[in-house]
Amino acid sequence: MYLRLNSVSKLFTDTDKKTLQNISLEVEEGEFICIVGPSGCGKSTLLNLIAGLDHPTSGSIILDGREIHGPGADRVVMFQEAALYPWLNVKENVLFGLQAAGHPKTVQQEIAEKYLKLVRLWQYKDYPIHQISGGMKQRVALARALALDSKLLLMDEPFSALDKQTIHILRGELEEIWEKHRKTILYVTHSVEEAVYFSDRVVVMAENPGRIKDIIPIPFDRPRNIEHPDFVALRKQILSQVQLSARKIAAEEFDKAEGDEIK
Amino acid sequence: MKGKKFAGNILFFILLILLWQLMYTASCDWFHWAKPYAVPSPAGVADCIVYLLSNGTLLTAIVGSLLRVSFGFAISVLIGSILGASIVAFDYLAQNLKPLILGIQTLPSICWVPFAILWFGLTESAIIFVVVMGSAFGIALSIESGIKNVPPIYIKAAKTMGVDSLHLYLRVIFPAALPAFVAGLKQGWSFAWRALMSGEVMSASVGLGYTLMVGRDLADINQVMTIMLVIICIGILIDKRIFTLAEHHILKKRGLL
Repeated sequence: MYLRLNSVSKLFTDTDKKTLQNISLEVEEGEFICIVGPSGCGKSTLLNLIAGLDHPTSGSIILDGREIHGPGADRVVMFQEAALYPWLNVKENVLFGLQAAGHPKTVQQEIAEKYLKLVRLWQYKDYPIHQISGGMKQRVALARALALDSKLLLMDEPFSALDKQTIHILRGELEEIWEKHRKTILYVTHSVEEAVYFSDRVVVMAENPGRIKDIIPIPFDRPRNIEHPDFVALRKQILSQVQLSARKIAAEEFDKAEGDEIK
Repeated sequence: MKGKKFAGNILFFILLILLWQLMYTASCDWFHWAKPYAVPSPAGVADCIVYLLSNGTLLTAIVGSLLRVSFGFAISVLIGSILGASIVAFDYLAQNLKPLILGIQTLPSICWVPFAILWFGLTESAIIFVVVMGSAFGIALSIESGIKNVPPIYIKAAKTMGVDSLHLYLRVIFPAALPAFVAGLKQGWSFAWRALMSGEVMSASVGLGYTLMVGRDLADINQVMTIMLVIICIGILIDKRIFTLAEHHILKKRGLL
């Protein structure tokens, strides 16, 4: 098994709430996994644990036979915000990670060029970050992440801050790139449609404590048609699962707030 | 448009000088409220500038003061950076030393003069000491807040790209905090310049503060006024031509201006 999560739990000490409880998951090399769930179910926390930015309270995470103890270039993260460095231009941002990897200068240049061309931004290579659009920023971030050729690509709602049209274009691009490179991707999203569109398997999470509720394989051929009746039916089925727990949480939070007022 | 603005600036200063002349004439000649030796006049100051320039006093004083403040400011930047970085690195210092530094920073630099004289005598070192005490703490605080305010996402992103901690500082934290650093240095410079005057008034043998005191001793109010104007002009010049320019350059490159 390529990536293995052995009953991973995470407890934040400042709240007594258990954020993640007994998460066990196995991911094959080259698999595209989407994680969906109501907000607050800990899906981003899970991604942070795999990235090594945070440590599990118990359990272990093993990637390619080695346990994860801290962040590393074998697990690059793409965040909701592009997290590009505004003091560097487009190309320099892509080069940033490559410099840390210690490739020779000429090789760095070649790799940066290859991936900027892949996301179709080569002609913008000298642009300052503040002069490109939100969608372009995420494409730069994608190029920067892909350029490191990591074992695992972790994506934390990377398109959720963008407008619908841009999302559609980027989805197509990401899928194309994934087909070509067969990266192992863990993709956190709140859009069930996105999850069914991309994944080999969808991991549905529930909240309080954050846990895996269901793992649903998506059997459709690619490229997938989001208007196909089977697609829509499966999307609705998963959505109802997510919404169920979302409604439950809303009810709980509502009650709590009312209770506080009475006191 | 730009020419019009410039003309407006010139007009403003001409009006200001006319008002000054009017006040001088009114108080000394018309109503005899004040003795002429107690009130500076535009003509008197102009004469004084010519006089101090022609005998070389003004230039020597300016060079002397600038050398001194540069040296003191450099020490302040060094001490401030070390102090600021240590506060960031150690929570214990952030909790205990930072409030103290905030307190010391509010202390007018002239308060350090007695210490300076007792420890260093009437020497160059005494003046440098006052300059350093006047500006190092402000710089330390701005270094600290600059580093603290680096968006965590920049650091997270770098870590997941395999950047080690040395390079994290060099390639992410330092450039990300640079605008705050420059703003801090700008403020530190103005503190240093003020502190320098406190120091020079007390013990210098060359410098603007000293020349100002000579003016006082000779009861030459025009000389005092001349030096005050020079101090203001140099302060503005360095602020605008060096620090503000650097700040604009950095912010513009990042699309923040």
